[in-house]
Amino acid sequence: MPTQANAATAVAHAASAPLWTLDGLRAADPVLGLALLMLVALLLAEMLHRTWRIPRICGHMLTGAIAGPVMLRLFDGLELDPWKPLIDLAIGALLFELGTRIRPRWLLDNRWLAASCLLQSLLCGALVTGALVWLGAPWLTAAVAGTVALSTSPVIVLATTHESRSRGQVTERLLLMAAVNAVIAVIGLKVLRIMLASDADSPTEEFTRASISALRVISGSFLLGVACGFALDRLSPLVRGTPAMPVLQIALVIIASMLAAQWTLSPLLALLVAGMTARARMKHGLTVEPHLGSAGAVLNVLLFICLGLLFSLEGIGRLWPWVLVIVLARLAGSALAVGALARRSGLGWQQAAGLSLALQPMSSLAVLLAADTFGWTTHLPGAHTPTIQALLLATTLMQVTGPIWTQLALRHLAHETNEG
Amino acid sequence: MSLQAFTTSQPLTLGVELELQLVSTHDFDLAPQAEDLLRVLKNHTGTWDVKPEITRSMIEIGTSIQRQHAVLLAELQDLRDQLSRGARKLNIGIAGGGTHAYQHWSQQKIFPGERFHYISELYGYLAKQFTVFGQHVHVGCEDGDRALWLLHALSRYVPHFIALSASSPFVQGVDTGFDSARLNSVFAFPLSGRAPFCLGWDEFGKYFDKMTSTGVVNSMKDFYWDIRPKPEFGTIELRVCDTPLTVEKAAALACYLQCICRYLREQKPFEPAEDDYLVYTFNRFQACRFGLDGEIVDPKTKERTRLRDDILRTLARVDEHALDLQALDASNLIRESLFAGNDAQWLRAQRSAGRPLSAVVEAATQRWMGES
Repeated sequence: MPTQANAATAVAHAASAPLWTLDGLRAADPVLGLALLMLVALLLAEMLHRTWRIPRICGHMLTGAIAGPVMLRLFDGLELDPWKPLIDLAIGALLFELGTRIRPRWLLDNRWLAASCLLQSLLCGALVTGALVWLGAPWLTAAVAGTVALSTSPVIVLATTHESRSRGQVTERLLLMAAVNAVIAVIGLKVLRIMLASDADSPTEEFTRASISALRVISGSFLLGVACGFALDRLSPLVRGTPAMPVLQIALVIIASMLAAQWTLSPLLALLVAGMTARARMKHGLTVEPHLGSAGAVLNVLLFICLGLLFSLEGIGRLWPWVLVIVLARLAGSALAVGALARRSGLGWQQAAGLSLALQPMSSLAVLLAADTFGWTTHLPGAHTPTIQALLLATTLMQVTGPIWTQLALRHLAHETNEG
Repeated sequence: MSLQAFTTSQPLTLGVELELQLVSTHDFDLAPQAEDLLRVLKNHTGTWDVKPEITRSMIEIGTSIQRQHAVLLAELQDLRDQLSRGARKLNIGIAGGGTHAYQHWSQQKIFPGERFHYISELYGYLAKQFTVFGQHVHVGCEDGDRALWLLHALSRYVPHFIALSASSPFVQGVDTGFDSARLNSVFAFPLSGRAPFCLGWDEFGKYFDKMTSTGVVNSMKDFYWDIRPKPEFGTIELRVCDTPLTVEKAAALACYLQCICRYLREQKPFEPAEDDYLVYTFNRFQACRFGLDGEIVDPKTKERTRLRDDILRTLARVDEHALDLQALDASNLIRESLFAGNDAQWLRAQRSAGRPLSAVVEAATQRWMGES
């Protein structure tokens, strides 16, 4: 029987299927589909929170996971491509907000803290890379996986600290370290992507070209971020006292993200710097609502649903040792780095344990923000597929459980939460 | 439990305690990081000590026993520098001021400790509302009788210290209209106010025995009087001052007290009497509400005068004692502040320039840490 005819028949059947069936949902208008998903996500998140005190963003991500390729296959990752600008905006808003929370001067006032941030990134990346090479992965792909794995998800930690209303030393260091290691991951990944795709004659030439490109990205992103911060400072007096302030902030986030993408700079670095610059220039004149207001809150829910839609369990049966190694190597790297410099940087042992655990949510931002589409594995050409698949699996695991670890750490180890 | 015997202490020696605010450098709200700062300061090199207070956004420092203004000031400046370094390491700020401008008491957390939990259990929400910040000054006395005489003689000057130190105009985001709103939190405690009029230590011991037999008090610590004897130290403790915005002011206030005590001891310009307390609460209210612009009634002459003028006259009377005690710098600072205004007026001036309260707290932080 001709397959084209079968496919056409299937499509026609799905289109006519009632909305409450899986086929009907798969054929539904994408806007309607996402709206329904948001409704389910809100209800599921609230139920999980009230019953087991699980962070609400876990419920949002689980909804996406259930609807995605892992279970019901209502959406495919690539079908989200038209929504990617909105996802980038959601991430951008959170990164800008994170930037306003960070005070770079702290790294000068506490040199051991600065050393701790660097050591945490390097050790996590090195241990994950080394462990994967030991398992048989080629070193370049292992380095890519290590670079992605060293990053803590800044959006997950910021969303979790919002929800738990945590305040204190561990919370502040968590946000700072998440920002620092996210930047290191983005820069490192840019360098490694170039090397992966390179066809240069010698490794030295490859590395030189990659380094020059990384320098361009860092300096360009920094300047873009500073310009955005200055623009907010100059334009804010015009809208001060009106509800338009969050709108102005979101508009500038969009402009900064799009310019960064167009000029192949780092939106993550640009937006963090924009937030820091705005805070430094405007000081108490800068009011940043959580998620940049109610529009940002909607985008936030959409973001975590979409992260869930990207979850993958493909190959878990044969790749679980690689996944376990990635997770354990990350935990070991954080614990060793934070623990080694805890006392010198002014942290207690229990706080150090809390911080190490709170750093566990994994981030796919480094790739998401660098990719044009959600088919991000295709944007790492030349990469060893099983390694990247193991990385995807580890990311799935440590994103959906990440908020739980962070909340546990802040509540029971650091005692810094103040939940309602 | 009987009243402890009064320890002999060298007269007119001083000890200063300051309760300080710990604030976040992000939003300048109170930051519950007392344990972290105590850990960082564990091996400090000063002669002062630092310890927790009832809620986790407060710490208390205490100087060593001092005799002269210059040495006391040097110790307080060393304390300020070391505390500031520790605070920067933790990305927090330290501020003076009798209240935090916009903290809400319900968000404060009790510091883990037996005494603090006892107070929290006994006084309920008042314990968290006690997130206020004061300066306490101890003055050494040789015996309990002289300590009590001095305590009651000093009552006439309590409004001076309230008005000079007042630095708590804002509470929960609102200008209260008071220069020192902090003392309203102290008044809420059932054992606040003033000590009973006893001029002998034995007589005071009988009063103490009666109070302990009722079960209302267990120790002297349960009294929240404006001036309280501290028998284990051999001192009387003046507790009405708000924490000033600078350590220089704190040292000056302590030495002004020292000068007045010497004046009272050596010249005995009057004998304290029970009737002196007829005008006590009125004078106290005037100082809290209007600061240096308040009016007080002299308990002996019944004359009504401006508080500012009364302080000026007192400074003139104690000048020779300031000279002998090498505290002229302190009395000059007090004199200047009479015209420049107290810290409450400074805080209001920051606010009146249209700045948000978080900016006011930041300015107070910079002032205390010596960054302005």
